Amino acid sequence: MTLRIWFQLVKKLVPLFLTILFISWLYNYYGAWDYTIKNIPEFFRLIVEHFTLVIISMVCAVLVGVTLGTMMTRKSMENASSTIMTVVNVWQSIPSLAVLALAYGFLPLIGLSGIGMTPALIALFLHAVAPIVRNTYSGIDAVSKDVIEAATGMGMTKRQILFQIELPNALPVIAGGVRTATAIIVGTAPLAFLIGGGGLGFWIFTGIDLVDTGIMIAGAVPVALIAMLFDFCLARSEKFFISRGVQTIEVETV
Amino acid sequence: MGTMLSLQKVTKIYPGAGHIKAVNELSFDLEEGEICTVVGPSGCGKTTAMKMINRLISITSGKIIIDGKDISRLNTIELRRSIGYVIQNIGLFPNMTIGENIAIIPKLLKWDKAKIDEKVQRLLEIVNLDPDEFRDRYPKELSGGQQQRIGVARAMAGDPPIMLMDEPFGAIDPINRDHLQNEFLKVQEKVKKTIIFVTHDINEAIKMGNKICLLKDGHLVQFASPEEILTHPKNDFVADFVGGDRTLKRLNLFTIKRAMKDNPPTIHQDETIETAQNMFAKINSRYLIAVDGEGVLTGIIDKQGITDKVTHVKDVVSPTEAWLIAHASLKDGLSEIFTHDYGFLVVVDDTKKVLGWLHTEDIKETLKG
Ligand SMILES: Nc1ncnc2c1ncn2[C@@H]1O[C@H](COP(=O)(O)OP(=O)(O)OP(=O)(O)O)[C@@H](O)[C@H]1O
Ligand SMILES: [Mg+2]
Repeated sequence: MTLRIWFQLVKKLVPLFLTILFISWLYNYYGAWDYTIKNIPEFFRLIVEHFTLVIISMVCAVLVGVTLGTMMTRKSMENASSTIMTVVNVWQSIPSLAVLALAYGFLPLIGLSGIGMTPALIALFLHAVAPIVRNTYSGIDAVSKDVIEAATGMGMTKRQILFQIELPNALPVIAGGVRTATAIIVGTAPLAFLIGGGGLGFWIFTGIDLVDTGIMIAGAVPVALIAMLFDFCLARSEKFFISRGVQTIEVETV
Repeated sequence: MGTMLSLQKVTKIYPGAGHIKAVNELSFDLEEGEICTVVGPSGCGKTTAMKMINRLISITSGKIIIDGKDISRLNTIELRRSIGYVIQNIGLFPNMTIGENIAIIPKLLKWDKAKIDEKVQRLLEIVNLDPDEFRDRYPKELSGGQQQRIGVARAMAGDPPIMLMDEPFGAIDPINRDHLQNEFLKVQEKVKKTIIFVTHDINEAIKMGNKICLLKDGHLVQFASPEEILTHPKNDFVADFVGGDRTLKRLNLFTIKRAMKDNPPTIHQDETIETAQNMFAKINSRYLIAVDGEGVLTGIIDKQGITDKVTHVKDVVSPTEAWLIAHASLKDGLSEIFTHDYGFLVVVDDTKKVLGWLHTEDIKETLKG
C-alpha cells in the first residue's frame, strides 16, 4: 500500500523534476538568467503586466461567460440561445492572432484606442468567453430533467434550483470551459505585446527581433511557468469546488 | 378523520395534443391516512393525474381540494413543500450526499440542525440502509434500488401530510420490493399519511391500497377498496385487468386469523395415551395438536401411529412444520396447507403458542364473505 503511494509519487515527480531541470539548463545555457538579473525591475514590471492581462481577462470571461451561459438556459431566452451559440462557436474558431488584429482594427472605429492594454484585454476576454458560455449552457442543459422535476415538485424555487442543483451539477462541464479559456488566454497573452499590451511577450519578441536567444528564453520560460501554475491551480480548485458526487475522476490524495 | 384530498371533475388536455383528454373528469375523495393506489395500462393518465395535485401540470378544468382548500388558491411553493413527491425516475441530486438529499426539504423549511440530523438518521433506518454507511455517500455510489429507497426517504423528510409516489418501487427486485412494501405499510401504520401511489402492478395496487383507482384512457373505471374490486369488478375491463385469478388474489387481503377456527384439538404432551384415545373418540379428526405447559406447539399426533406399546402422548408426537403465524396472509396459509399432508395448518402467535387451526373449508367460507 505505502509502496504504491511512493510509486505514484515518483511517477508524478520524476517528469516534473526533469522538466524543471531541462528548463533551468536552457535558462542558464543561453544566458537568460544573467539577462533577467541585470534587468530585474523590468522583469517584475513585465510579470505584473502579464498577470494583469491574464487574471483580469480571465475573471471577466468567467463572470460574463457563466452569466450569459446561464441566462441562455432560462425558458424566456430559448429563442436567443441558439443564435448566441452560433456566434460564440464562430468566434472561438478565429485564431488568437487574428482576434488581436481585429481588435486593433475595430476598436478605433468605435472611438477607442487600438493600442495598449485595454484592447489587449478586450481581445483576450472576447476570445476566452466563448468556451465558457458554451460549456455553461450545455452543462446546465445536460442536468437530468428528472432531477429538475424532483426539485420543482418538492417545492424548491427557481433560484434555489439554479444555485443548489443546476450550477453545482454543471460545474465539471463549466470547469472544462474555464480550462480551455485559460489555455487560450495564457497562450495568447504573449501576443498582446504586438498591439502594445505589454507583458512577457515583450522579451520574447525583442529576442526574436535581435536574434538573441537569451532574451527570448528569458521571456519564454516565465510564460511557460505561468501556464503550468495556472493549470495546477485550476486542477486544485476543481477538486475543491466540484462535489465528489459529480466529479468524473477519482480524487487523488497526493 | 375527514376528507383530506378531493378531486372534482379534474380534466387535463395537453396543449397541441388535439382534444385528447389525458385525464377526463376524474373525481374521487380520499380520507386522511388512506393510501390510494392508481393503476391502469401505460399511458392511461396516472402520472398526469398525480402531477396535477402538486401543480407540476396545470389543470384544464375541475378542482382539487386539499384539506378543505382549493389548491389553485394556494402558494405553489408552499403547496409543494407540504406534499412529499417521489418521481417515476428517482431524480436524486447527484451533487449532494445521501444525507444532504434527504435533508433538502427540512433545510428549506428551516428546521434546526439537530432535528434535521435526527430525521435523516431515522429515515435511513426506516428504508433499511445503515445511516453510518450511507449518509455520506453520493447517489452514483448506490444501486438503483437503494437510490429509489432514498427517493422515498427524501419525500418523507418534511413530514408532509400528503405523499405522491410514482412507481416508487419500480426498480427494485421482487424480494426487496416485498420487504419494502411491508416496511412501508408498517411505517404508514404509525404516520398515517394520505398517499397517492401510482403503480402498473395490480398486485402491488391490491397490497398497498386502501382504495384502488383504476384508470383507462384518462377516465375513471372503478374507484373502490381492493376487496370490492376483486369481488365485484365493475365491468369486463376491470375483471380482465385484475386477472382471471382474482379470487386467489383475494387471499392476499385476509390474514389467517380472520379465517381460522378457534379451539383446536390440543393435548398436553405429558398426558397419557388413554386421554388421547378419548379425545380421538370424541372428535372427528385423525390428528391432535400437542402442546407444552405454556400452550406452545410441540408437534402433531397421528391416530394411526399409536401402537399398543405406547403409553404417553410424548412418545408419538412428531415435530411438525405445518404451522404459521396468525398475521400471515391466507395465500401463504393455503400454500402451507397443500405443502403438508395433514389437511390443516396449526395457527400460532409470535411465541408459537397455539391459537387455532385452519382448513381449506375455512378459507372457502372467508372468501364467500
Ligand atoms: N407533456 C405532454 N404533452 C402531450 N401529451 C402528453 C404529455 N405527457 C403525457 N401525455 C399524454 O397523456 C397521456 C397520459 O400520460 P401519463 O404520463 O399520465 O401516462 P401514465 O399512465 O403515467 O403512463 P405510464 O404507466 O407509462 O407511466 C398519454 O397518452 C401521453 O401520451
Ligand atoms: Mg407514468
